[in-house]
Amino acid sequence: MNPILDFKKIIHEEKRRTSNLQEGPVIGWTCTYLPLEILEGAGISPWRILPETSSDKGDAYLDPNFCPFIKASLGKALEGGYSFLSGIIILNSCDGMRRLYDAWRFYCHPSFSYFLDLPRMVTPSSIAFFRDGLKDLIKQIEDHFRLKISEDGLINAIEGANTTRTYLKRLFSLQGRGDPPLMQSDILEIVSEGWKNPRRVFNKSLNIFLQGLETYPPTHLEGPRVMITGSLMEGSALIHLIEELGGQVVSSELCVGNRIIDQIVLDSDPLGSLSKAYLEKTSCARMYDTEQRIGHLKQELERTQAQGLIYFSLKFCDPYLYEAPAIEETLRQMGMPMLFIEGEYTGKMGGGIRTRVQAFLEVLERDARK
Amino acid sequence: MRENKFRIKLLRWFLHLPATYPVMRPFLDLLNLKENPAFRIWVQFLLDIMRQAYAHKRPVIWMNSFVPSEMAYGMGAIPFFPELMASLTSYMGWSHRPIAKADSRLSTDLCSFYRCALGLALEGFLPKPDLILSSSHLCDGANKLFHYFSKTYKCPHLMLDPPYHESSSSHQYMKEQIKETVENACHLLHLPIHRERFSSAINLSNQARQYMVKINGLRRSIPSPFPGSEGLSYLAGMNFYSIGSPWAIQFYQSLYHFIQNRVSKQKGYLPREKFRLLWLHHVRPYYKNEIFHILNEREAAVSFEESNYLYWPSLDPYKPYESLTHKILSNVWAGPIERRVKAIEEMVQNYSIDGVIHFSHWGCRQSCGGAAVIGEWLKEKNIPYLILPGDCTDPNNYSQGQTRTRLEAFIEMME
Repeated sequence: MNPILDFKKIIHEEKRRTSNLQEGPVIGWTCTYLPLEILEGAGISPWRILPETSSDKGDAYLDPNFCPFIKASLGKALEGGYSFLSGIIILNSCDGMRRLYDAWRFYCHPSFSYFLDLPRMVTPSSIAFFRDGLKDLIKQIEDHFRLKISEDGLINAIEGANTTRTYLKRLFSLQGRGDPPLMQSDILEIVSEGWKNPRRVFNKSLNIFLQGLETYPPTHLEGPRVMITGSLMEGSALIHLIEELGGQVVSSELCVGNRIIDQIVLDSDPLGSLSKAYLEKTSCARMYDTEQRIGHLKQELERTQAQGLIYFSLKFCDPYLYEAPAIEETLRQMGMPMLFIEGEYTGKMGGGIRTRVQAFLEVLERDARK
Repeated sequence: MRENKFRIKLLRWFLHLPATYPVMRPFLDLLNLKENPAFRIWVQFLLDIMRQAYAHKRPVIWMNSFVPSEMAYGMGAIPFFPELMASLTSYMGWSHRPIAKADSRLSTDLCSFYRCALGLALEGFLPKPDLILSSSHLCDGANKLFHYFSKTYKCPHLMLDPPYHESSSSHQYMKEQIKETVENACHLLHLPIHRERFSSAINLSNQARQYMVKINGLRRSIPSPFPGSEGLSYLAGMNFYSIGSPWAIQFYQSLYHFIQNRVSKQKGYLPREKFRLLWLHHVRPYYKNEIFHILNEREAAVSFEESNYLYWPSLDPYKPYESLTHKILSNVWAGPIERRVKAIEEMVQNYSIDGVIHFSHWGCRQSCGGAAVIGEWLKEKNIPYLILPGDCTDPNNYSQGQTRTRLEAFIEMME
């Protein structure tokens, strides 16, 4: 029994059954701080820009000391890999994204492009400011695509996204309970299907899959319990590697992992609810409050009873590279081992990383025996 | 090894001794007697800032370069700039050691200004801050590194987070941030908020700005009256760190008279000027290097540099928070690349530019990320363009041979 193949079969079947439902435009997005509910409320399909492999094409247009994910995204766009998109929305996540927005517009000429400002702080005024940005985004989408995003449409989209969050929370909670029927790498593969499939299809498939999970034999993992955090990474190669080397990944605190909003509590102002929930979600290193992130990591380490933390940063990713010493220092004070890995966006883990992960797991094992 | 440790200890003691700076001043004045008077004022400004910061008679605020210095002067605090210390360390040829020290904690792919500053902090060379204030526009690293500094020194960290777009909503948001930051900072530092002092800092900023307008006007003259290498060092330094203080008026006034005198005599800084160049990016390498020597040899004058482009309007002393909002949000290096390109277009025209050099400082995503798009625009205008990779404070990232080859090929292309 292979849960991933089974999930893919379910989703394929659901897509086939509902193939006539999705005909609207598709918009590419780059950062999980974008409330996808706005697009879905407009009948637009969001598509996460997450190129599978790096491309050399971006190298000619962006500096050598630049985020490999951003170069890969631009490279794929230049090669026509995103020609199916009706537009892009890039967020003010980091310097790299600001320059990607410039380069994408300049070299790829998308018919619709929008740059959404994203505050780094969470205060009443930043929530109000982000709300203003979302309102402007709605206006630009309405004007460009000649459609109307109604309040009811937005509320329905928020409810649909809340259902996904409920299912994903359940999926992630299967980790760390002793005998997980799924490995963390399986979970991340399932999560990634949500970025390429219509919400309704994904929700239905996930629900069916979760109901059938009890029939799977448990995977008996006994290796060291590791939590992983850090920047965006391509696929789940690092997690596969840890699992292959006998480790258990008990939490993936990543924007391709379990950084998920609990539930959006709707009030009389759905846009305000979205703004608040997205700014308050489990934060990325690009946000101001490092201490809040440290607090969250500590909680997650404790909750999952992890024995060590692997901190991954893409090369040239300033928010994570600059944050690493503060995290390392805190963990040292806690007596929690940490392995820092700086890597490329290739989806492959080289021999050097393999050796370091192996040695790290050995240290954790040795510490557990003491 | 023991001798080295002793020397470091001695240097640390020497730096932290407030008496060092008044004692050094006459010696440095004498040493710089042949330099232009504005340079001497720059040195005096540095000594004064360092004396005050190490003496610690008033609260010391560490700030990154993009926080308007008027804020610290307006609050009555002593501003201190770790990036400035990094460039000075590099200028002295001492940056190897602090950079190596920081490399145990930070990736070598990060900005060497920050790596050097962290190394200096870890070595205990810098004065202790009471508060750390950073701004996130133009530089993602500032927020995280300055937070790390605050952890290291166990002091609070406040941040300004300027929005990307200019709109009424972003003005409102920025203004609120500045107001809250000033109030929080004054509360944390036990400083009363004096509106008059803030207005006075804005007034001083405006007076400095008036001279800057005049200086930039004079620098349009042919031949170029003032070297870009100096525009990228102490002139850019004063631009970042002195605005809002009386030092700025003294400095810019002096520099204005110096340049005016040269222009009236039609005297260029090179004996003969064949090409006029524009230097893009705020900075240049500060350690010993050949870049400007090669350009001088080939009679290519750096007539103007992006760091001295005056982007902000005259400020209203009676509305300090609004004024600083305008200053921050009008920064052409923030926001979409079109703003920067427009400013470059203006500089190319105003300074009769024949060629443009984009110095791509290793680790600076903001500036380097836009270099290719800028190149496309210049290509359309038929203006020769060179992307010159390098590093401002880490000499290990400087390749003498490659730099010479690139610069010479660029000059040949213009010829």
